[in-house]
Amino acid sequence: MSGAPLVARVGRPIVHTWRVGRTAARRRDVGLVFGLVTLGYLLTYLVAVGDLAPGRGEVGVTVVADPLSRALERTGVTTFEPVVLVDLGAVRYLFAPGTALVGLLLSVLVGLNLAFTYLAVRLPRTCGVGTASAGALAAVPALLSGAACCGPVLLLVLGVQASGLLLTAFDALVPLAAVLLVGALLFVARRVDPAALSAA
Amino acid sequence: MQLSRRRVLLGTAALAGCLGRPESSAGGAAVDGTSSRAATGTSGATTSPRAADGPPLSGTGLPVEWELETLREAVVAGGPPKDGIPSIDDPQFSSAAAADDRLAPDDVVFGLVRGDDVRAYPQYVMVWHEICNDVVGGDRVSVTYCPLTGTAMGFERGATTFGVSGSLVNNNLIMYDRASDSRWPQVLATAIEGPFAGRSLREFRLDWTTWERWRTAHPETRVLTESTGYVRDYGRDPYGSYNPPGGYYTSEFTLFERLYRDDRRPTKAVVLCSRTPDGRVAFALDALRSEAVGGGEVGETPYVAVYDAALDTGYVYRNPEGVEFAPVDGAVEGPEGRSYPTAALPLDRQYAFEGMWFAWAGFYPSTEVYGRV
Repeated sequence: MSGAPLVARVGRPIVHTWRVGRTAARRRDVGLVFGLVTLGYLLTYLVAVGDLAPGRGEVGVTVVADPLSRALERTGVTTFEPVVLVDLGAVRYLFAPGTALVGLLLSVLVGLNLAFTYLAVRLPRTCGVGTASAGALAAVPALLSGAACCGPVLLLVLGVQASGLLLTAFDALVPLAAVLLVGALLFVARRVDPAALSAA
Repeated sequence: MQLSRRRVLLGTAALAGCLGRPESSAGGAAVDGTSSRAATGTSGATTSPRAADGPPLSGTGLPVEWELETLREAVVAGGPPKDGIPSIDDPQFSSAAAADDRLAPDDVVFGLVRGDDVRAYPQYVMVWHEICNDVVGGDRVSVTYCPLTGTAMGFERGATTFGVSGSLVNNNLIMYDRASDSRWPQVLATAIEGPFAGRSLREFRLDWTTWERWRTAHPETRVLTESTGYVRDYGRDPYGSYNPPGGYYTSEFTLFERLYRDDRRPTKAVVLCSRTPDGRVAFALDALRSEAVGGGEVGETPYVAVYDAALDTGYVYRNPEGVEFAPVDGAVEGPEGRSYPTAALPLDRQYAFEGMWFAWAGFYPSTEVYGRV
């Protein structure tokens, strides 16, 4: 196998997905779906990992000493030390740059997936998948990935005992969700014709 | 994994009783007349520890009822990596008056008195750090708290510090010392892995009580603040609540598997537990609260537990002569009508700490237990 076809095989879907995304972004409704879903997922993620919580009516900002090195300290597989505490009255936010970055990455992927799924539902012919329900299947990985952020929290809420296998599964959940989301994104974008989309 | 009693090793050390501190543990004793054995088990140690580098060790090993290999096999990753739950290494303290602003009267604190130095470590801060490496009364100590087993225990640390390994056994915090990286389950106070495997720490009592009670008993106390070097959502307990009691702390489930299931008491019932020279014993704290004085036998030796209403805690005494004690007005009346403070009966006081029943019974399946919940 030569290198060129492999690069093309990997690169083509990415370029195509980029084009679809750029074209779709011109549509206000798609942009709205993307923005709302991304923001909603990010907030949910931050609440689930404990970085965003109800406030105590106080207002203020606290920064740890040596925030740059502290920000690199891990508190979990995909969570990091918070370096700034922001009290905004009703809301308390612990800003951990690493955790926020992971959350943002997942959120953008979920947002893109659901924006593309929205296209599939609204314009199934453009997506070339025939029916809206088939297009909506692409939302499944996005929904499944919801467990990535709040899996361990569920154990406490539901009172479920953690087994070694379950804990290992939780460790792998965020990376797995990211891979699934990227795969789903490429899959659904492949079926969208950017030219037909701009004409729709 | 439910380990059977067949895998239990009643490993104990010879009676020490030589540390000279009534509230410090003095090591274990031979059990049931079986041959005494230090808790070395299958140590897995490959190098000789340099005692000067590590934490101060107990002269004799504390009793361990499981083979170390069995304990190592039961270790699970708790989620956070090593130091993912950061210990407090530069603790800051405030006056009691300043602490009134952030502590409610019924909030849980862990009290420590060493000489003239009196300190309180609020549970709401410790739940995020589990270990506070401190210097109290001129002594380098570690104040430790495991939320999942409800145990607060003090250890001498020497020149080293302790950190949170991220692993658990029987749901209990496994500490590591930063000199040798040996692994020390908190309740056992004995290393199960690393150069110090089989060796035990010097431990001392912390009083699990409430802020109002501690402040009344010790108005001069200093109180650990939220200036820990880390930012956390202090005030929110990720596991539940003690004020009012709820969540994990009162539920029947454990987050991870336990070493051994013993249904003689409810899972999370709080017991006052002690590794005595005659064996292990637990007194249900609720029963002690209502009866003020409780008794029982360990092996064939009588023991007495008394309730301290001022701090809502209890003390365990070896009572080989079976002397009768009765509660009177916050104190205890002994022979010939003499009155004694609950913390100073004319008997050999044993190191005792409070914990959840499942945790104590899991580590020490041979334990006697007294007092109905």
